[in-house]
Amino acid sequence: MSVVATEFSVWNLALHLSCNTMGRPFLALVSEPISNPARSSARSDDEGGRASTRPSVADDKALLERVLARDQSAMAELFDRYSGMAYSVAMRVVKDAAQAEDVMQDVFFQVWQNPKAFISDRGSLGAWLAVVVRNRAIDVIRRRKPSEAVEDVVLAASTNVAAEVEHRTLIERVRNAMKDLPPEQRESVELAFFEGMTHAEIAEKKGEPLGTVKTRIRTALMSVRKAFKA
Amino acid sequence: MTDGRHISQEDLVLYAMQALSPEESAPVRAHLAECPACRAELAELNGDLALVAMSVEQHPVPAGARQRFLNRIAAEAAPAQLASKTIVSPVVPIDAPRPARRVAAWIPWAAVAAMILVCVALEWRVNSLNTELLLQSQQIAQQTVASARAREVLDVLTAPAAQRVVLTAAKTPPAPTARAIYLPSRGALILQASNLALLPEGKTYELWVIPASGAPIPAGLFRPDASGSASVILPELPKGVPAKAFGVTIESAAGSATPTAPIVLSGAAPAAGE
Repeated sequence: MSVVATEFSVWNLALHLSCNTMGRPFLALVSEPISNPARSSARSDDEGGRASTRPSVADDKALLERVLARDQSAMAELFDRYSGMAYSVAMRVVKDAAQAEDVMQDVFFQVWQNPKAFISDRGSLGAWLAVVVRNRAIDVIRRRKPSEAVEDVVLAASTNVAAEVEHRTLIERVRNAMKDLPPEQRESVELAFFEGMTHAEIAEKKGEPLGTVKTRIRTALMSVRKAFKA
Repeated sequence: MTDGRHISQEDLVLYAMQALSPEESAPVRAHLAECPACRAELAELNGDLALVAMSVEQHPVPAGARQRFLNRIAAEAAPAQLASKTIVSPVVPIDAPRPARRVAAWIPWAAVAAMILVCVALEWRVNSLNTELLLQSQQIAQQTVASARAREVLDVLTAPAAQRVVLTAAKTPPAPTARAIYLPSRGALILQASNLALLPEGKTYELWVIPASGAPIPAGLFRPDASGSASVILPELPKGVPAKAFGVTIESAAGSATPTAPIVLSGAAPAAGE
């Protein structure tokens, strides 16, 4: 845990530098994880042993620039970093292994085809991928064409969760925060975010006023934010 | 939807989740395009949503997913390299797998080009047909005028009401006369007769073309009206027979194949008939 704490403070330092001196948010990305024990053990397929041979200091930004130069090994490394998270998000929405893999593969393929969609000045790649995968998965269950270009998904630079995803501490915090939400708040967020229901549909399903549903979703999200910033 | 100048946080959350109806999200999108503050808040909210997304139960990636992905990007990269090589040297090895996407991309363009060619050809054809139509219309108009004129000439020549007068030297008593106009090359003959003696029942005048050689050719039957006038207009005659003379005989009503004496009217044709 002390390692995590150290990394987190390094990340904070990087964030301060980027905001105060450079004004380039993506510099926050320089504090990337240098190891990946949780993911390596979690991945069960035949490529598991590859993790230990990855360059330890590579960060997302450098990887993306190599992807821009059509470096397939860099893309493979990004896949190793985030495919498990992306697949899990897709799985939560579509609830079908084959469809979830399709969504995950398509999003990573879009990164390969158009790395610039993210490179400019978005937040962390991991957080961005989580949102893009969720949105694409919602498109799938709603049987509609992609409702937005991936370029349109913009995250705040402060949401650099990449490092924390690897060690799961922050995710545990967010999970606990979600668990601690009043049940009706949690349900509203989950219906909107993971089931792709509009607030009007939720209001109808729950027999409650639109305004109540709106307020619940916002309040729940603010609780998650608080847990992250705590 | 907007609280004063900005989008409320509640609506921004719903917008970020795509939980607004299209009608509701349009004004939000419009406002975001012009409001850096709301864009910044939306980016924060997307970060919050990323946390929610990443809090899901973790599943291991399906076996083989990594290899499938690597194959996919390798397959995508290969045509790109092939394409760049193609630019350097247009000679593509026969066994080189041509990228399906590039081939497919040509099809619509080729179709467009073909359509353009067809359109141009059709346009050209339409123009030429129009020109032809115009030309024919002009010809028809000219022929109509000519035809009307010919009809008028014919009407004047043949109208029963037309007054036919043969002018002769003074004090010459009126005598039966006929004027034949003959165009041998077309076998066309017009005869105008006047002051003819009336015929008894069962008799008719018959006109004869007397060729330079050979037997006289029957050229139509006619009976004079009350004033002694008669016409023969374009009887059936062989073409290209120059006439030496014309004659009129009196025959029985059905006509005859050979003239019966006497010849009541005759006239020699001038040497140069045409």
